[in-house]
Formats: sequence, structure tokens, C-alpha cells
Amino acid sequence: MPQPIIEMHNIQKHFGSVIALAGVSVNVVPGECHCLLGDNGAGKSTFIKTMSGVHKPTSGDIMFEGQTMNFERPRDAIAAGIATVYQDLAMIPLMSVSRNFFMGNEPVRRIGPLRFFDHAHAAEVTMAEMRKMGINLRGPDQAVGTLSGGERQTVAIARAVHFGAKVLILDEPTSALGVRQTSNVLATIDKVRKKGVGVVFITHNVRHAMAVGDRFTVLNRGKTLGTAQRGEVTAEELQDMMAGGQELATLEGSLGGTV
Amino acid sequence: MSASQADATDERVKEMSAIRRWLIRPELGGIVGTLAVFTFFILFAGDSGMFNMQGVMNWGVVSAQFMIIAVGACTLMIAGEFDLSVGSMIGFAGMMIAIFLVVLGWPAWLSIILTFVMCMGVGALNGFIVIKTGLPSFIVTLASLFILRGFTIYLPQTIESKTIIGGIRDAAEGDWFASLFGGTIGQGFFRWLGENGFIGVFERGTRAGEPVVDGIPMLMIWAVALIIFGHVLLTKTKFGNWIFASGGDAQAARYVGVPVNRVKILMFMFTAFCACVFATCQVMEFGSAGADRGLLKEFEAIIAVVIGGALLTGGYGSVIGAALGALIFGVVQQGLFFAGVESSLFRVFLGVILLMAVILNTYIRRMITGER
Amino acid sequence: MNKLVTTLALATALVTAPLMAQAEGEKYVLVSHAPDSDSWWNTIKNGIALAGDQMGVEVEYRNPPTGDIADMARIIEQAAASGPNGIITTLADYDVLQGPITAAVDSGIDVIIMNTGTPDQAREVGALMYVGQPEYDAGLAAGIRAKGDGVTKFLCVNHAIQQPTVGERCRGFADGLGVELGDAMMDSGTDPAEIKNKVLAYLSANPDTDGILTLGPVSADPTIAALQENGMAGDIYFGTFDLGEEIVKGIKDGTIQWGIDQQPFLQAYLPVVILANYHRYGVLPGNNINSGPGFVTADGLTKVEEFAGEYR
Repeated sequence: MPQPIIEMHNIQKHFGSVIALAGVSVNVVPGECHCLLGDNGAGKSTFIKTMSGVHKPTSGDIMFEGQTMNFERPRDAIAAGIATVYQDLAMIPLMSVSRNFFMGNEPVRRIGPLRFFDHAHAAEVTMAEMRKMGINLRGPDQAVGTLSGGERQTVAIARAVHFGAKVLILDEPTSALGVRQTSNVLATIDKVRKKGVGVVFITHNVRHAMAVGDRFTVLNRGKTLGTAQRGEVTAEELQDMMAGGQELATLEGSLGGTV
Repeated sequence: MSASQADATDERVKEMSAIRRWLIRPELGGIVGTLAVFTFFILFAGDSGMFNMQGVMNWGVVSAQFMIIAVGACTLMIAGEFDLSVGSMIGFAGMMIAIFLVVLGWPAWLSIILTFVMCMGVGALNGFIVIKTGLPSFIVTLASLFILRGFTIYLPQTIESKTIIGGIRDAAEGDWFASLFGGTIGQGFFRWLGENGFIGVFERGTRAGEPVVDGIPMLMIWAVALIIFGHVLLTKTKFGNWIFASGGDAQAARYVGVPVNRVKILMFMFTAFCACVFATCQVMEFGSAGADRGLLKEFEAIIAVVIGGALLTGGYGSVIGAALGALIFGVVQQGLFFAGVESSLFRVFLGVILLMAVILNTYIRRMITGER
Repeated sequence: MNKLVTTLALATALVTAPLMAQAEGEKYVLVSHAPDSDSWWNTIKNGIALAGDQMGVEVEYRNPPTGDIADMARIIEQAAASGPNGIITTLADYDVLQGPITAAVDSGIDVIIMNTGTPDQAREVGALMYVGQPEYDAGLAAGIRAKGDGVTKFLCVNHAIQQPTVGERCRGFADGLGVELGDAMMDSGTDPAEIKNKVLAYLSANPDTDGILTLGPVSADPTIAALQENGMAGDIYFGTFDLGEEIVKGIKDGTIQWGIDQQPFLQAYLPVVILANYHRYGVLPGNNINSGPGFVTADGLTKVEEFAGEYR
């Protein structure tokens, strides 16, 4: 197995008296899709927000490409190459696809001392990237609001990859989507993984996870129940673990003693 | 699920014709409204003097005033915030200039610059409070509305025991900086027009023989400059993209690294700047500052912006649209007088136009953005 | 009727209604400084309408909706651009209005100043004459009268603090009494409930106040209500500027000692008549016309009562 890009060691996060994460360890290697499963309130959101620099962990280490990292704000994580696509906040519907695509990373063209948004360049790149991802736009100025939910997720993923993400965190990208749109997003994940990006795929839908996942980590009540390789675990077992780990004893063997 | 599917067009997305695509833009409502309003007044007030040079200058100047504050209100609204203190800011700025210039006797350039600094400071404070407390800007700036208006009445009453301070024009006489806000340009051209009978001339008095319109007021130059600046800023720059993003979804914008707080505070300052331009032009033209200046101008600015197609909740709009909204507002307000309509009906028309514009704009916006 | 047609046409914005027939005779425009909410100006509207009918001229009333004097300047410019035979206007703020009025005069339009302003200012802007009640003098006369009646300390309820000319009434009154104005002038705002409560608060904080001056129906009506509430009605010396239904009632029942009638009807009616005769026959009175002050007391209220708010 290649060297992990990011390693999270024994991450704890407390909010006042509430222990949201009680020692979670996860790593992500390039070119894999690492599925993070858990029921609502399991600590998935807190964990990815810690990874993407929104929260600082109460204790524990974050190693990025072998170096210890302390992310002060999301910007630091983005700069390091950790991009996050949030379920509802991926895109701004009122703005055009190209404006969204370059939001925060606007290409600039200089005319004398003045600097302008390079719309021609932005349009060209956006159209090319969208074609690669399988989305046909009427034009780069088409508003994101006219795209389907799946397409929006795809644009957000394409954006993250275009701007050099090494780790891509997807927060429940499929939870609000129909069957066909879900399969499009899963296909996109597959494309991105093949480019060598480490994908962290958060979901509570075991079938979606099994469709593209290489490794699976289940979170329950702020703790990890271990990480399993593809083929070592069945959908039913993951489902049980998410539900509360009642079947833990019987699963221990199949998880290879990693619990 | 395969990549080849990518090239197939989605049969449910209708192709748009080129004309339709050109037509469907944020400014469409404003363009349609402008055409309708001018058609109406050409029909009903065509021979009333509304379209001679003096008449054009009359509604032109009123529209230019609206445009100045509408540009500020528009960019701020697109950034997702409101400023209800614009009207009070106009009164306050005028009064501060009067106090510095007339009461304290400071030079005009210093008084004006100082007033701009104070107003933009108040704008920054508005923005800062909105950002830090997370309160709606509606409430925060409503507070500034009262505070500023209160000072605008209190200060001159305490210092001069009156609520109007005059003598500004005389005190600013000969100051080049002040002449950027008052006065007119192109006087030679207008004199030529007058001499050759293209426009009317004064028949008697000290100005007999001079043209009734002696030049383009600086107010109009400011309006045009601010519209161009606002339009370029919004559509052609990186910062403009941040303005749209901050208003469209502040959290999403933050996640991709847009400095939302900075954008919003700067837009509050720009709005204050526009109000200050309005106030400075007004006191330089009329020569006095009054405690009641700018009353309700904040709503007039917001109305112009909304007629121009901007979305009240932010993230969508156009400076050109807002400028057209201001033009419609100004033409209707003055045009009703030319058409001889009872002036108390002005508000009725305003309400009707506002409603029609908002309905049309909502329809256009849904087509563009796919809102449902 | 024409106006109604125009109104409907604008509402639909597209209907091609027949063009308005131009009224015969001269056209005069009256521009006031009053916001839409000021009901006192209704008498003015009736005055010009009546004069217009009698003289066979077209008259129009215009005002800035919010009472912003800068907007009023634009309206005068607009009125001038529409080419009337004459403009009748108030001179609420000399600095702001002198430019547009002078320009109108210079472009050949005859102007008469009414209501606010002074005869001197009217002459300076080139107006034909001034018709109205000099504010300071009216206040002074009222003050002298009140002093004679034994008033020593007064409250002036000013509902139009932003208009300096209205404040002159308080200043004149104080000078007539021979006391300092000081904090006796209250900025009451225009909301009736607020005015009433401000007056109540002031009177309980300053129990030695023995006189009240209100500057019009806007401040007088709530003040009457306040005095009825705290039982001082009829006890405290109460004079007011201008008339209105409530004020007339107050004079009648003894709450109000007198109302100063500046006779707004004359301020509106006379300029139209004067301008029309001037334009037709070239005749013009040789001096300014003082339409007030006339003190209206409980004696001889019948006519006032009959036409209060309409022509009085």
C-alpha cells in the first residue's frame, strides 16, 4: 500500500462537556476511495471539519505527507491540498457555472495597472472541465441553479480537482439525489480516484459506499469501529456496525483484528 | 454511468435561441420599464416642456441623484446586505460639511475629505457590527438611521441654534476640490447652443441671454462615473465575483476562501461613499445643509435597485439595471408633474411600477437561474 | 376627469387614451414645501381651485412628498421647464430655493411668494410680491398679547423643527413675552401620540409652565388631548397658530384662548387672481399683502366653524 497522504492519529474533539470525537484514527492513501460511514450524530461531520481545518482537534495529530500539520483555518487546509465539497454548500445557484468554478481562485488578466477577471479563460477552462466530467452546458454563463443536484456535486468535485486537491472530502454527496444522479456522482468519484486523488467519501448509505469504496471506516458515537478493506466486509456487516456495533464480536474475525 | 454518455445532450434541456439568450438578462426588466415609461410620457407630456433641454435636465438631474445612491445600494444588496442609513447619512454628511466649512471656517477640500472619511468610517462600523454580531443589517442600519438623523438635528441646533446652515457656496468659492461636486462643465458648448437657438435663453434679469441650461452638472458626471465603476467592479473583476459569492451564499463562499467579511464591510463603506457624494453635490448646489435632507432616500435607493432587477436576498443583480431603475424612478417622479397628474398620486404610480417590475424581474430571474 | 384618464393610462402604461385637452386660459403652478401628510395645505388646494374656476385659469398644486426642500427645488425647476405663465411658491429655505426661483424669473415666468419667506427675500429673488404672514412678527404680536394676559413661562410645541421659518414664530413669541427661548421650544415630531406624550411629560417636569404655543393643527390637536388628559384644559393659557376643526372646538370650549389665523385661503386665492389680472390687464397691487395675523377668539366663530379645514 502506498504512503498515506494524510494520517489522523487518535483525534479527540470536545465541545464543552460533549465529547464529539473520542480518539479516531484514519488515514487516506492516494488513488483510493475511503468511505467514512456512520449514523447521524456519529461524529462524521466533526471529523471531516477537523480534517479540513474548520475545527482544531482537542488532542491528536494530523500528518500530511509525513509532516505534522496544524490547520488554523479552512484556507490552510485548502492551500495544503485538502478540498471539501459540502452537501448543500457546494455551489451558489444564482451564479454562473464559470463564476462558481473559479470562486475564490479567479483568473486575472492585467491591463496596465488594472486587473480584471479573465472571463474568456474562465469560460474555456470551465467548458473543458465540464465536458470531461460529462456535463453539457449551454454555455459557461449558465447559472448553477439550472443544473441538477448531481451535476452541482460534479461541478464542485471538478473544481476541487482542477485546483490541485490531493485529498477530496465529499460530505454526503449522494444523500439528496435520485438513482441516476447518484450513479453519475459515483462515476465521478471513480474518475477522480483514478487521477491519484485520495477521496474521503462520507455517507450513511452502505450501498453507495460498497459501489466505489476501497476501504471502509465506521464511526459510532465518536469512536471508530475499525477500517476494513474492500472484500473483507459485507454490506450487512457495515450496516450492523453503523447501527450500534451489537454484532461486534462476530465481526472481529472478519475485520482482521483491527478493532 | 459511462463517460460516453457525457457527449449526449440531455433531451430535457431545451435549446435557447440566440435572441432569447441575448434578451434574457438581469437588466431586461429595467430596459422594458424604461421604454414603457418614455413611451408613456412622450405620448402624454410630449408637448409640456418635458423633452426640451430644461426639462431633460430636470428629470436627468433627479435621476442622476437616484443613480448615485442606487449604485451603492445595488452593490451592497448583491453582497447580501442592506443599508437603511443612506438617507440619514446624506443629511449627516451635508451637515458635517456645513459645520466644518461654515461654522469652523476650515477650507472646503479639508471639510469634504474629512466628511468622506467620517461617513466611510460609519459605513465600516455598520459593516463591522453586522459581521461581528450576526444581526441582520436591516436592524443595525436602522439604528444608524436614527443615530445619524439625531446628530444631524442636534449638532446644528446646539452650535447655531437652527436646523439649517447656509452660506456653503460662498465659503467654498474658488476651491478646486469643491468644484468637483458643484457647478457644471461644458458651459461653452451650452452657450453656443443657446446663441444658436437650439436651447432656450433667459429673457430678463442679470443672466439675460444666457442659456437656461448652462452645462452638465457635476452630479451627472458622478452618476455616470459611479455606474461605470460599479458595473466594471461587479462584472469584470475578481472582487466582483466575491461580491456575488458573498451575497449568494456567504458560507459556501467562505469554504472556498472568499474573504466574505472584508467584502461586506467594503461594500458598506462604498454605500456610505455614494451617500456622501450625493450629499456633497447637494450642499454645493444648494448652498445649505438642512436637518431634513435625504429623508426616505434609503427606500428610494432600494426601490430603484429592485426595479432594476436585483434580488432582495442578495447574490443577484446588476448595476446597469439599478441605474435604469433610478432613471425610471426619476422620470416618473418628475414626469407626473409635466403630465399634470395630481402629485399625491405619485405614490400610487410608484407602487404600481414597483409591483410590475418585481413580477417581471422574478420571471426573468427564474428563467436565468433555474430557481423554482 | 382628464387627470383620471391620465391616471388610469399610466397604471396600465400602454393604453393609448386620447391626449389631454389643454385647459383654456393661463396656467399657474403653486409649489409648497409641505409633505403629503400635512393636512393644513388642503385649504390652499381649495383656494387655488376656487380662484382657478372663477378666473378661468388652469391651476396645479405640487409639493415634495416627504417635505425635503431639496426635492422642492427640483419641483420648481420642473415647473419652470413646463412653461407656465406664473409660479406661486413658498420660500421655505432661501439658500436652497433662491437659485431655482431666480432662474424661473429670469426665464420669463412671473413668481409670487406665498406663506413662508419674507418680503425682503421675495424682492431679492425677483418675485412680484409676497402674500403671507411674516412669521416672526406674528409670533411677536402673539407674545405681546400673552404677556398682557399674564403669561410668564411658556412651552412652544414645534412639529416642524427642520423648517427654520416656523421656528421663528417661537422666537417672536419669546421676544414678545420678554423671556429667553432657551429649551422652551420642543421638537415634537409629527406623530400625534408622540406629541401628546411629550407635552404631558414636559408639563409634569415643568409644573411652573403657564402658557403653551402650538404651531399648527399637527401639534395643536394632540396638545388639546394632552391637556384634557391631565386636567389642565382651560386652566393653562393656550394659544395656537392656524386653525382646524379641533382648534375651533378648543376655542369654543375655552381650552384655547386664541388661534392665529394667517388666512391661508387668501395666500392661495389672491396670488392666482393677482397673476391672472396682471397677465390680462397689466394691473398689480403696489405692495406686499399681509394675510395675517388675525386673532380668532371665542367671539365670532360661526364663519370659521362653518369653513374650518376647507376655506379657513
